[in-house]
Amino acid sequence: MGGYAGNLIYVDLTTGRIEVKPLDMGFARENIGGLGFGAQIFLELIKDKPHFDPLSADNPFILMTGPLTGCGMDATARWTVCSKSPLTGYWGDANVGGHFGARLKLAGYDGIVITGAAQQPVYLSINDQQVELRDASAYWGQDVYTVTDALTKDLRADSPKPGQVLAIGPAGENGVRFANLINKKGHAAGRTGLGAVWGFKKLKAIHVAGTGKLRIAHPAKLKALRSELKAIYAESIYIGSIQSAGTPAHLDVGIITGDIPIKNWQMSDWEDFDALGPASIEEKIHAGGRTCHACTVACKKNAEVKEGPFKIEKGPGPEYETIAAFGAMCLNADIESVAKANEICNRYGMDTISCGSTIAFAIDCFENGLLSSEDTGGIELRWGNAAAIVAMVEKIAKNEGFGAILAEGSAKAAEIIGKGASRYLTTVKGLEAPMHDPRNAHGFGLAYGVSPRGACHEASLVFEVEGGAMYVPELPALADELPEGSEGRAELNVACQDYGMFFSHCAIFCNLGAAPLNATQAVAMLNHVTGFNYTLEEVMKIGRRLWYLKRGLTNLFGARAKDDRLPARLMTPMSEGPTEGSIPDMERMLKAFYKLRGLNEDGLPRESVLREQNLADLADLIYT
Amino acid sequence: MAVFKNHEVFKEVIVGFFNLLGDTPQVADRLLASKMVIRFIYSDPDLAVVVDCSGDKMDVRPDDMDTKVIVEMSMKADIAHKFWFGKVNLTMALTRRQMVAKGPVPKILKLLPAIKPSYAMYPKYLDDNGYAQYNIH
Repeated sequence: MGGYAGNLIYVDLTTGRIEVKPLDMGFARENIGGLGFGAQIFLELIKDKPHFDPLSADNPFILMTGPLTGCGMDATARWTVCSKSPLTGYWGDANVGGHFGARLKLAGYDGIVITGAAQQPVYLSINDQQVELRDASAYWGQDVYTVTDALTKDLRADSPKPGQVLAIGPAGENGVRFANLINKKGHAAGRTGLGAVWGFKKLKAIHVAGTGKLRIAHPAKLKALRSELKAIYAESIYIGSIQSAGTPAHLDVGIITGDIPIKNWQMSDWEDFDALGPASIEEKIHAGGRTCHACTVACKKNAEVKEGPFKIEKGPGPEYETIAAFGAMCLNADIESVAKANEICNRYGMDTISCGSTIAFAIDCFENGLLSSEDTGGIELRWGNAAAIVAMVEKIAKNEGFGAILAEGSAKAAEIIGKGASRYLTTVKGLEAPMHDPRNAHGFGLAYGVSPRGACHEASLVFEVEGGAMYVPELPALADELPEGSEGRAELNVACQDYGMFFSHCAIFCNLGAAPLNATQAVAMLNHVTGFNYTLEEVMKIGRRLWYLKRGLTNLFGARAKDDRLPARLMTPMSEGPTEGSIPDMERMLKAFYKLRGLNEDGLPRESVLREQNLADLADLIYT
Repeated sequence: MAVFKNHEVFKEVIVGFFNLLGDTPQVADRLLASKMVIRFIYSDPDLAVVVDCSGDKMDVRPDDMDTKVIVEMSMKADIAHKFWFGKVNLTMALTRRQMVAKGPVPKILKLLPAIKPSYAMYPKYLDDNGYAQYNIH
């Protein structure tokens, strides 16, 4: 067999005990990897005590690579993390690229399971067979850039190859509910606030150095597939566009159809919008490119602002979601300020979607008289006030002043502010919606509603398929012409969830870089790397089980049918523009979806459905 | 059934619209700044049009298959018609090869902000020039 390193690390932070256990290959065959592993192990760890605070020693944190991670093909650098989310109180997970996952595999490990909590700051050092917890007092309080440089330098002599650092910044230490984890200063496991879980556990970082090699089951077949894909990638305009401009390429495309939320989801076009687009980025902040492990797509771009109030050193630049969140959502046309807000988020370790959306929500409250400058510590939270937006990002990261309220996330902040502030929210299940408007593509609305982790465009492949970047001819629901409106979106969501769980959550293809792959190529790559002979039907079945497992865990933590609805801001029709008059028919889509998925009126998977999916433990937890 | 009944009608409509864009500084200035030379190859009905922005003025040349262009875009006439209403998901059209683009991707992308105002112009152009039956807005 190939693809797997063959070992999992178990770390109990309370006792300091570390165990390395062999990966059960039967378990690997049944779950593929990534969240397929992570969710199963999470359930096993919590089933005896299923109700606990996310910021407690009872909350496990699990980091898992997939069998493709580090295999050297394009768009396979990614890996996953999962835990109970401190932001939402439900299932939390995030998916990230960069270099950490590949290096972990080369050190000999497929994943890390972390339980308990340390009394004093620690970091985990992995250097091939040597795995140990070390004192992190000297690094606690450092920002992500500083601790990344410091650990890389301090541990450089221990291994012939430089290590990779995964770290939290002060936001995670300070308990910011949307704190994240960052590798190499800009590759963020961004969503659902799992950096705060590390902060509570007093885990500052993991440093991994590895000198091994990853075994590929069928290298000649993989090489032939690489040649086949090379021609496909060369022809793909989508790949060409992200190679050229990175994810911000979507700013020019999405604005045409009304995909990009502006002014906290109140507008779909804006005369100053082009100031945020790829041409402006190239002129004002672009500073070269970078990539994830072994990926020739190289969609990551650097940014630098040489002078002025938003000066930043050369470093990872803002992605599309970040530009939309701190720019369009806040009616802020200053791309340099967006780059600055992005840098603060990277240094302090915060999710840019939640942070930008929470600030846009606060501006909405301020502009509508629910907040004053007295409440905000003198910061004039007005639309387009770039300096105020940047100042508030830092206040949030430091959990300071009014920033401490916003650091709870917008849903909890609305409760604190009161006065009907919740009408300006853009959250589902407590997670701020990403920067893609369901009024433009109704299937996104259902995807946000039923996503186990809350409003998310990557919880399935609906965004990629209905948005147009993916076309999977082997699966009719992912290839057929979609009627306008909400028709057929329940079927689309089910298929995109099942395939998406396999594609980007278990095998862990990159949704961007692997978009040109059809299902035959994706399954072939998995088989060439692992030596397993999966069929498409089989990986769909594995994906389906994972979807029910994640959904059931979120239900176990309290989510019900009422939590599958979209907030008013996303359900208010535009009076003009490309999406004029359009809103997703949520009730119709949900009704069809519940029927297809076998969910009861409360939104829970029926007990019989869970048992059919071999999820008896979960069924017992929910129904007994 | 195709939207445009024959080559002549489609040619009139699309060439007239490109000329209108050339006469609209809000669009033309940015296209001229790009120095783009692009050939649209339409099918059903068949038509080729070169839009040449390399000079001081936008030059629209129907049936030109000789000019060496920077970008070539191929699509059905119906897709082109829908596109100018802003009703085509460009990413999907390119992925599913309903539109095929050949040429440097960065230059193609730079055209998008330039032509953004044209989506609002197309329906009005159709109404004002006797093509109201084609207005699907």
